[in-house]
Amino acid sequence: MIRFFVSVWENFKEYIVLVVLLIVSLILLSQNSSQGIQKVRSIAFGTFATVTSVFTDVFNISNLKNENENLRRTNAEMMLHLSRLREYAIVNEDLKGLLALKDSSTFPLISATIVSKSLTKSQGTITLNAGNNQSVKVGMPVITDKGMVGIIYSTADNYSIARTLTNVDLKVTVKSERTRENAVLKWNGEWLVMINVPKTFDLKKGDRIVTSEISSIIPFPLPVGLVYEIGNVEKGIFNEVKVQPFVDFQKTENVFILGIVKSKEIDDIEFNLLNRQ
Amino acid sequence: MIKSQYIISILLFFPLLLIQTTIVPLLAIDTVIPDLIIILLVYYSITQGQIYGSLLGFTYGFLFDIITGSLLGSAMIAKTMAGFTAGYFSSENKQDQNLVSYNFALIVLLSSLIDSTINAFFSSINFNSNIFLLFFQYALLPAIYTAALALMGMIFYPKRKMF
Repeated sequence: MIRFFVSVWENFKEYIVLVVLLIVSLILLSQNSSQGIQKVRSIAFGTFATVTSVFTDVFNISNLKNENENLRRTNAEMMLHLSRLREYAIVNEDLKGLLALKDSSTFPLISATIVSKSLTKSQGTITLNAGNNQSVKVGMPVITDKGMVGIIYSTADNYSIARTLTNVDLKVTVKSERTRENAVLKWNGEWLVMINVPKTFDLKKGDRIVTSEISSIIPFPLPVGLVYEIGNVEKGIFNEVKVQPFVDFQKTENVFILGIVKSKEIDDIEFNLLNRQ
Repeated sequence: MIKSQYIISILLFFPLLLIQTTIVPLLAIDTVIPDLIIILLVYYSITQGQIYGSLLGFTYGFLFDIITGSLLGSAMIAKTMAGFTAGYFSSENKQDQNLVSYNFALIVLLSSLIDSTINAFFSSINFNSNIFLLFFQYALLPAIYTAALALMGMIFYPKRKMF
């Protein structure tokens, strides 16, 4: 019997090792959301990101000149916008006062730098140099001055990983700013697409797409992109709308984390509501 | 006694991943990026054999998944299969030939193709669209880019074992 096993091992050891390794991988595949795995992941990427951040800092110095020039230009443009918005704000304040609305526009912004990117075709993730110590929590939106980048997926003490919009596992509820119609936005590996959009929706090329208030992740409308193409017009009852994102995920280096988790608030409210019944 | 080769092969992974996640995205051609880790994996699979290639692929995949936040297990399976495939070309009499000739780039192409294809499968992409186009974009293009990079490395290969 032992001789038989030895013979089998000698003849098929490569395949036996392969099968064992694949089985272990499949087992781990089903354990992705377990606490233990999350803890190991948090320690591993936290440690690695510490090294990466040093490397990135050195590397980024060469890009600072270009970035400074771009920032100066953006500043000038922002100044023009700001002066116009100040006018609007004064009118807005008066109107809000009349309606006795509470101004809720102050959201905490946590600045962070991207220390590494894993921008595969389908699973875009970025590692940021802000984590638990900076009050970053899972579910917080990541933004730039141009619009939404992604959502925090995992956190360590000083680092966090965010899924970008170019990640097939991230789906966000969005709406057209013009028509106020909602749809689910996801990455199909090639394009950001709004899926299952009824043909009755009056979307047009160039429409501005923002996150929807009915999203369980994003607290208020964040710019996402512009409608690029409305597909599948001839057949079926739904359209698939391609969206050109405002943010260039390849070139983004600095981001802000919006320090609020909407789902947590909603959960608390809904929990209290259930308790009252 | 663990051979120093084995330790070096693991240690080399970390600087390579550092480059992969910081510099390589800057070399992207329309989001197609090469995979440096596959090149290292193929090198060790050819020099150390099929079993070692599978085990190293498994280890690289585990570390990659854990550190980059990918779906744990996806890169493990992909890289284990890639290491196993590259290990087929590790016969002693052809080892040097496979390392210094253009064969190396072809082996990298094959392994990278397997790696990218499996990764694409785990990415749950919408396969309603043209599957050949998706295979071209997700598997073939990154594999060709990786093989091209390996080919460039071949030019500077010192015609003897590096590690």
